[in-house]
Amino acid sequence: MKNLQRAGLALLAVGLAAVPFVASDTLVQFGINALLVATLTQGWNIIGGFTGYPSFGNSVFYGLGTYGTAIAMAQLHLPFGVGLVAGGVLGVAFALLFGIPILRLRGPYFAIATLGLAAVMSAIVATIGFAGKNIGLILPLFRGDTLFYELSLVLLVAATGTVAWLARSRFGAGLVAIREDEDAAQVMGINTTMYKVGALALAAFFSSLAGGIHAYWITFIDPGSAFDPTLNVRMVIMTLFGGPGTIFGPVLGSFVLSAVSEVLASKVSTVASLFYGFVIVLAVVFMPKGLLDLFQGFRHSGFRYFAQNMRRFRL
Amino acid sequence: MTAPIFEVKGLTKKFRGLTALSDVTFQVAPGEILGLIGPNGAGKTTLISLISGTLLPTAGEIHFEGRRIDGLPAFKRARLGIGRTFQVMKPFPGLSVLENVTVGALFGATEGQEKKRAKARELARELLEFTGLTRHAEQRADQLGGPDRKRLEFAKALALHPKLLLLDEVMAGLNHVEVDEVVALIRKIRDRKVTILVIEHVMKAIRNLSDRLLVIHHGQQIAQGKVDEVLADQRVVEAYLGKRRQ
Repeated sequence: MKNLQRAGLALLAVGLAAVPFVASDTLVQFGINALLVATLTQGWNIIGGFTGYPSFGNSVFYGLGTYGTAIAMAQLHLPFGVGLVAGGVLGVAFALLFGIPILRLRGPYFAIATLGLAAVMSAIVATIGFAGKNIGLILPLFRGDTLFYELSLVLLVAATGTVAWLARSRFGAGLVAIREDEDAAQVMGINTTMYKVGALALAAFFSSLAGGIHAYWITFIDPGSAFDPTLNVRMVIMTLFGGPGTIFGPVLGSFVLSAVSEVLASKVSTVASLFYGFVIVLAVVFMPKGLLDLFQGFRHSGFRYFAQNMRRFRL
Repeated sequence: MTAPIFEVKGLTKKFRGLTALSDVTFQVAPGEILGLIGPNGAGKTTLISLISGTLLPTAGEIHFEGRRIDGLPAFKRARLGIGRTFQVMKPFPGLSVLENVTVGALFGATEGQEKKRAKARELARELLEFTGLTRHAEQRADQLGGPDRKRLEFAKALALHPKLLLLDEVMAGLNHVEVDEVVALIRKIRDRKVTILVIEHVMKAIRNLSDRLLVIHHGQQIAQGKVDEVLADQRVVEAYLGKRRQ
């Protein structure tokens, strides 16, 4: 059974890797976006899903990744590889620096503080001449959607691999304990501060690299799009939709919702966002533990699954 | 008295203007059970929190195995071998009973040995057997009933391999039969060479269990010593029942 699962996953990865060689340009471009958003979602899963800290600051890591890469390439004329590293370093350094004070806050207070961070960063960047002020930066043009696609896929696989490791490692067990009860975790010997900062840094690492890839692909960035708070909202919704704290839930959730919003935006743009909101309300009421749990629960108890959920969560 | 495993000197805790605990001093010998009693709001839980490190003292010293620990963060004290239970029980609600205990084994005082999850789980299973929770191993912690939750608190604290165990009102809300079970369990734990500091309101149990008693009232330490002597002490009686009218 386990081998069968592994084989299935490998086949899926190969299938995804083959997409740019067989599919249309539009589909590949949709794919790049979906893969990058899935990576961001997986990053949110580490701090939000496993550690239980509802971060609205992950879009800051993404933004720093885009700016790190863009400044290195557009202003310093460095190669893309160096730019990507610069973006990653910037994101992780920010997580380490601000994680320590901000992770002292819990629950909604933490969420609000991180939300503030995103707004402040966008305002600060808009005043720095070196970062193109509020006009933004233009990166050298590079046409190679296949490369961007494969790079994004590798990043998503790495992020998912990291989460799979979390699910079975001592570090991951510590994070889950913090999510379940931080005081109890502390007196059981878990260095909660270090673990939380570590989780945030991991999330920052994947988010900023996704930002770096996106910057070079799209070749133009400005403060508004780099530090877009709605991007962070999407990470949260997609994680919750797929199944927070699971390995594949966030990936599944982000693929499904990316596809839904793509189709809706092209067909019926006016009611698209309305429908999106509707889907989320239904998801929260009928499957509060996410898609993965829905599949497992449905196989087990059929339509009664929904009734059980409503009873269990008193909806 | 043999050299104490644990010692508190002049321990004081102030919350802004309120002095919750003032100048508390005592020692605990290895393998001893020290009962900590006092009326509600006396500062008993504050004392346990100061020892386990979830609160930091305003003044005073705490020594454990000859080492000063009052500046250490809670997780380091846990790794040295100080385990505690919470009065308001704190299980990891969404995890199974087995996983709850496994976490303690992964991070406890035997660090290095139990880093592997399989090994930690093995130890956790032993502790579930020891505390009588084996048949609930796969159940979610928040679905346990009251007495089983108390057992889970024990199992979690024991998973650390503590040398000193701090028990905060583990018998509150239990019926007679259940109290007797917990008393037996605490004795069994002492037989494993664990030193125990126990807060309790159930007089029968504390009388049965404790080697010595420490009484706190309004944050002041008012008596300390042999169980019967302390319970006969005029100040202790007054603290619980009020002054007799002349």
